[in-house]
Amino acid sequence: MELQSQHFREKAADALADSAAVAQRDKIAQFTPIIRDAAMQEFGSFEALRKHIKRIRQHSLDNLDYYLARFELEATNNGNQVHYADTPDEMNSIVLDICQQHGAHRVAKGKSMVTEETALNDYLQRGGLEVVETDLGEYIIQQAGETPSHIVAPALHKSKQEIRELFLEKHALGERALETTEDLVDEARSVLRETFLKADVGIIGSNALIAENGYSMLVTNEGNGDLCANLPSVLIICTTLDRILPRGEDATAMQRLLARSTTGQAQTSYTSFYSGPRREGELDGPLETHIVLLDNQRTDILASDYKEMLQCIRCGTCLNHCPVFAATGGHSYGWVYSGPMGSILTPLLTSLETSEALPNACTSCGRCGEVCPADIPLPDLLRDLRHEQYQQKMTAPRWRVGLKLHAWLAVRPSLYQFLTAMLTTVLHRLGRKKGSFSQLPFAAGWTSVRDFPAPQSGTFMQQYKARTKADE
Amino acid sequence: MSDPSPPSVSLFVTCLADLIRPSVAFASIRLLEQAGCIVDVPVQQTCCGQPGYNSGDYESTVPIAKKTIALFEHAQFVVAPSGSCAGMLTEHYPKLLEGEWQERAIALAEKTYELTSFLADVVKLDKAPAILTQMPTVTYHDSCAGLRELGIKEQPRKLLRELCEVDIKEMQQADVCCGFGGTFCAKMPDISGKMVDDKLRDAVATGAGMITGGDLGCLLNIAGRARREGIDIEVRHVAELLSGDLYSPAIGEGE
Amino acid sequence: MSSESRSRIMAKVRGASRGQGAAAIESELAGMGVAPTAPLPHEDTCIAFMANVLRNHGTLDIAGNRSEAVKLIGQYIYQHFRSHRLVAGNDPHLAAMPWRDGGVLPRFGEVEPGEPVALSYAQWGVAETGATVFLTGKSNPSRNNLLPERHLVLLDVNNLLPDLESLWRQIEPTIEAGSRPRGIQCIAGPSSTADIEAQLVHGAHGPRGWHIILTGGATHEQLQTARAIVACDDTLGGS
Repeated sequence: MELQSQHFREKAADALADSAAVAQRDKIAQFTPIIRDAAMQEFGSFEALRKHIKRIRQHSLDNLDYYLARFELEATNNGNQVHYADTPDEMNSIVLDICQQHGAHRVAKGKSMVTEETALNDYLQRGGLEVVETDLGEYIIQQAGETPSHIVAPALHKSKQEIRELFLEKHALGERALETTEDLVDEARSVLRETFLKADVGIIGSNALIAENGYSMLVTNEGNGDLCANLPSVLIICTTLDRILPRGEDATAMQRLLARSTTGQAQTSYTSFYSGPRREGELDGPLETHIVLLDNQRTDILASDYKEMLQCIRCGTCLNHCPVFAATGGHSYGWVYSGPMGSILTPLLTSLETSEALPNACTSCGRCGEVCPADIPLPDLLRDLRHEQYQQKMTAPRWRVGLKLHAWLAVRPSLYQFLTAMLTTVLHRLGRKKGSFSQLPFAAGWTSVRDFPAPQSGTFMQQYKARTKADE
Repeated sequence: MSDPSPPSVSLFVTCLADLIRPSVAFASIRLLEQAGCIVDVPVQQTCCGQPGYNSGDYESTVPIAKKTIALFEHAQFVVAPSGSCAGMLTEHYPKLLEGEWQERAIALAEKTYELTSFLADVVKLDKAPAILTQMPTVTYHDSCAGLRELGIKEQPRKLLRELCEVDIKEMQQADVCCGFGGTFCAKMPDISGKMVDDKLRDAVATGAGMITGGDLGCLLNIAGRARREGIDIEVRHVAELLSGDLYSPAIGEGE
Repeated sequence: MSSESRSRIMAKVRGASRGQGAAAIESELAGMGVAPTAPLPHEDTCIAFMANVLRNHGTLDIAGNRSEAVKLIGQYIYQHFRSHRLVAGNDPHLAAMPWRDGGVLPRFGEVEPGEPVALSYAQWGVAETGATVFLTGKSNPSRNNLLPERHLVLLDVNNLLPDLESLWRQIEPTIEAGSRPRGIQCIAGPSSTADIEAQLVHGAHGPRGWHIILTGGATHEQLQTARAIVACDDTLGGS
């Protein structure tokens, strides 16, 4: 997917100007945390489980050489062909090659953010294949020619009315009502049923790769991923190294928090584990299965100070709890991943300079870190990225100068107190009547949306020193 | 308290109280003295270094942190009328520093408190310095750092209810950020503006006449936006309410 | 080239790993203990399972014996499709049912497009999540679980497990013996989506209805208790 993160500020401004979309985002931002909180309250051991999962995830990453080798061995013994791709292009070309070897025409796809990352659909379509996204949200945005606005619910930014108009236009089935959400789901169901039945190749992602037995876990509510995994004669699982977990029970322990964090469920409708191709005597299932493991910088992250980011389970909870995400929507972030996890992953997987705005689109409110089921210190990692930007001089010069001056003064108390006393005295005199300033030089960012409250008379230090002197 | 010697507290004034609202620091002193503490204010203090730290300038923050530690480490308790400044001292100095300085930062962190949590949990203040007969109905905004880094939620509410008999009307999403975020509010004013609008909407919906909270940064942001939009709601720091000081104009209001 | 990439990736992974031996890694993992599981909504595993099935928008019937099970299946199909036909996998548990007792006309094999209802035999049920578990294979085509309008599941309450950890303990011997099923499917509800304006709709792609017939001694009293638990959730505004 083409990186557009350099336009974050403009896109965010546009997003804020669309009042209907703002209202829809507000509604979602209010109820998703409620659903998650209720599920966690009922569960009761959120903190203990997330600490457990964090330990397991860190252990897996610390010993990834062992677990990767084990997974490869088990998966191969299960009858899979395991492929490695360094770059997005390499993954795309491996997948296209497999499709071409089978003379495939039609591909049915389950939701996979990794293939969004590599822009696999475009690549396969250029290679002459018909590719249909089968997750309802992904299908809607594919029809609309858009990109996901949320890693779990990719089309949540679209209204029912917009989807209705989209289906009427794209499906060209003549006049029909499509009044209710049920009508819309039914229509997509009947179109996609044909896709599943006719597809030559199914492509899905993976929520976990289990080292001890070579199974791949797939978590959905729609069951579309399972249809992709079971009906076409060839299955390709596109995923990344960091999905590897030691044991089956680790994968199910993880889904315990994944489902609750995302939808409030104890378990989604479908949690499946697939080991490989059709067994002897089995009536259905793919005849050939491939697992393509993409690196795309992840081994670099593994060796970096941002390693903890690889613990991410892609639940979308940090998006649902981020007030900046709620304000701007996912598209503003300009790439596959958005919200707090996107503001960390996008710079790491693409370019820190191009995505300069993302780590700064954060108030350090800490809500993401509080709810993250993998216990990733997201606010700290975002701050560390800002540190890197500062070191690499990507921070705007006027900010750099201002911050340096502030820091220089802060360790010189006498000068600091002299200057601040002077400044506040002036501001107090100018502002005491009205109480606040609608404009101030050097504070345009502040005063562009709010007044600046005028200081009281004299700094505390001035007043305090005067009082203690009087007491003596 | 069974200990006969009164607790001795060094006040970390915070730069915003120092520069913009000294009444918050004076209120803090009154409250601490009411609780039986001996209060001193190290006059060499400036700022805890959050602006640079949160903007990624760790290198310049290190000398500020060291200076603050050296100035306050001899205190019995350090108290700040701000969750984010107290959090900076307790959570972030130890992360920022290494070696011997890290140990000194941890030692300082162990005796550093945000004002309302110190009053409610440590010295257990049970009587307000002055009782106001005309307490307005208030709504309480939970500032993020205090809430999530220090777990401050019940303490200020308990003090307001029990000491001042204040009627608190809880707003929707009281725990969601107001959009201040330090330099964030100036770097991304549109987004910040939307967030503070949501906060004001939820606050106004409670029917309360006043928004209070424990962090001046948030309160300046909220008051500034309320003034800009002509929203009639007073904004004051919780220390002012607790100490009975409603005499000076509310934040952002003229004399 | 994929194999070059493999070497490169493996080398980088090795460089970033701790380089511990297998024994050390396994013992470190074993030392991490087990994950906390979800509290069951009732101390009786069967009631807990039923309550969670209902929370998952599933429906339940209790059959005292196999003949009754067949009758309930017959009624369900007739009620929804005015038909007596269904497709069932070649599972011996299903083949041996007294189909004539319920007037049901089963076809054994895999569901073809357009066939509205299938019956599967669930190997296990998981009380913690209200899931039914299927191992795909000769006698259990995966599409029977995924394609029909309505998915009927026959489950013996003696095969109920408390949690997902216990499920792995049951499956592991099969896996270790090398006869790994191609698919392990935990199904915990009808096919559903909330992708349009976050409104929950059943029947996104697969079954609109997920109906479990419990055999092996479950009682109507247990089901009543489970219903009461779920009704209580609703009044409290929970899930």
